Amino acid sequence: MKGTILENGYPSIEELKNAHRFPSEERFQKGPVAVIECLQPIPCNPCENACRFGAILVGEPIINLPELQEEKCTGCGMCVASCSGLAIFIVDKTYSATEATISFPYEYLPLPVKGQAIKAVNRAGEVVCDGTVTRVMNVKQNDHTPVVTIAIPKEFSDDVRSMQRLNVAPAEKDHECCADYTYDPADPDDLIVCRCEEVTVGDIRKAIAEGADTITGVKRRTRAGMGLCQGRTCSKTVSKMIADAKHLSGDKIPLDTARPPVKPVPFSVLAGDEDI
Amino acid sequence: MLVNRQVAIIGGGPAGLTAAIEAAKVGAQVLIIDENARPGGQLFKQIHKFFGSKAHNAGVRGMDIGLNLLKETEESGAETWLNSTVIGLYEGNRLSVVRTMEDGSKKIHTVQAEKILIATGSQENTINFDGWTIPGVMGAGCAQTMINVNRVMPGTKALMVGSGNVGLMVSYQMLQAGIDVLGVVEAAPKISGYNVHAAKICRAGVPFYLRHTIIHAEADESGTLCRATIAALDEKWNPSPNTEQSFDVNLVCIAAGLRPLAKLAQMYGVEHGFIPELGGWMPLHDENMETNIQGIYVAGDTAGVEEANTAMDEGRLAGISIAQSLQLLPDQEAEQCKAEIRARLESLRLGPFGERRLQAKNRIVKKEVQL
Repeated sequence: MKGTILENGYPSIEELKNAHRFPSEERFQKGPVAVIECLQPIPCNPCENACRFGAILVGEPIINLPELQEEKCTGCGMCVASCSGLAIFIVDKTYSATEATISFPYEYLPLPVKGQAIKAVNRAGEVVCDGTVTRVMNVKQNDHTPVVTIAIPKEFSDDVRSMQRLNVAPAEKDHECCADYTYDPADPDDLIVCRCEEVTVGDIRKAIAEGADTITGVKRRTRAGMGLCQGRTCSKTVSKMIADAKHLSGDKIPLDTARPPVKPVPFSVLAGDEDI
Repeated sequence: MLVNRQVAIIGGGPAGLTAAIEAAKVGAQVLIIDENARPGGQLFKQIHKFFGSKAHNAGVRGMDIGLNLLKETEESGAETWLNSTVIGLYEGNRLSVVRTMEDGSKKIHTVQAEKILIATGSQENTINFDGWTIPGVMGAGCAQTMINVNRVMPGTKALMVGSGNVGLMVSYQMLQAGIDVLGVVEAAPKISGYNVHAAKICRAGVPFYLRHTIIHAEADESGTLCRATIAALDEKWNPSPNTEQSFDVNLVCIAAGLRPLAKLAQMYGVEHGFIPELGGWMPLHDENMETNIQGIYVAGDTAGVEEANTAMDEGRLAGISIAQSLQLLPDQEAEQCKAEIRARLESLRLGPFGERRLQAKNRIVKKEVQL
């Protein structure tokens, strides 16, 4: 798993190439082409319908990875905004003698404008070079997924996949009101578990030591789960504490009793009912 | 006041609305009861484009799917009570509802229905650590509601705990809202959500802290969150000393999974099973989404935590089954519709992310769950 998408969060060029996600270098030399950086079999296929030239195939089952038929792809970019995962890019390595263009989905405000100088980033979000915006496409059909095209030095065209966001606030000075925290491995008994009734870890441990082996048993002894939220926040934690203390699996800790009202009701509402 | 309806649907989210549409459009008298000011459940905070196939509205943003469902619901003739909470389910298919009237007053109404669908969704799990009750520590879904529905910024610098699809998506949407996300913390050795979601926030420069957990949150003089500390986990999943890292954040989001909300089903005696793949304890159902109690149905996250696409199809399945059992749909037509939906549901559960849910659902439908 080391260094894979599951650890890094983004694919490496090797992973993309091994999964046949990268068009051939010959195809790159012929002009703009789609690079579909989709590596996991998830149920999704809008890209297939978005391509007017039939260059993207998903087929059945729907979890198939989209296959690009590179000879059919014109690099038109219709698929970019259609990808729900924002994983399709158009790379044009023939833009000029020294520059390539990268088109990518960019759903952040403010949008850049044509001619703007930007910082181009790689898949990890690291700035790798300067770039210039050559196009911002935000037509209705994109449904609020603008596609930004930037020109960058050709040597970075396999790496650059986005631009530094323009809405990043300048870094604030580090906080000074509190010192760095050092972990104390002893679980503090005063840690709150049920915040509605302010029941602590210590209270619940005591209840379990006294023989409570169900959520209801803990509730009877401590009021955990009897407050405003009716246990929707703490019941799972209480269940886990019992399971841990008694060495039981989760299925051996039954649900707490369900009784009306499942949500708190003011007495005035109950009293106002003519039927009662 | 006692109100009689053929069908009562508790919860007007993706499952409840699709069920209402299917049942009402063939003539069932349907009442949807929702505790929010607007139906649609969690759809209106899903501002991203959905996955799936064309039949699942793939490529359409969740909020737009929500708008379409509201329109279809209105056209179907289903009746909706908003700001109205079901507080109990009693013998004889009677629901106790705190209904908000047109003048804003609240009245208790009893609704009796031949068929009841419980589609109340799910509840976010919490993590208890030192400082978890400080204002500024909240569920990821809660932050998402604040940003995308209420248009309120819950903070300016955030730490996300949990790398499932909710953690990844909400991190992305926080970035879109202008919140600085300083990292995503994950106890497991790998990112658990879709890579395409992870890749989006990687390109925005958000780092992942795998095999780490949050251990501490601290408040400033005003009582609001100002700092959070994480630590690496050892092989026994305990925080290791001297691995602490602190972040100056005023928002910590917890995306530690969800579990079905099914107290109403439970109080009516619906059989539950413990299905870890679907969020733990949940009401069991058959292939028509009907529980062991005739006339009581479940769908969506209540019937096991999945996602909006599966919830909508489960809702359709329940709505058609209800219409069929009310003899509003000929058996042949109903069975054909249901078969199509089941095939779609199966396709949504294919692949490494869905197969455990698929297997769990198959176990449930085939009644192979140990009770």
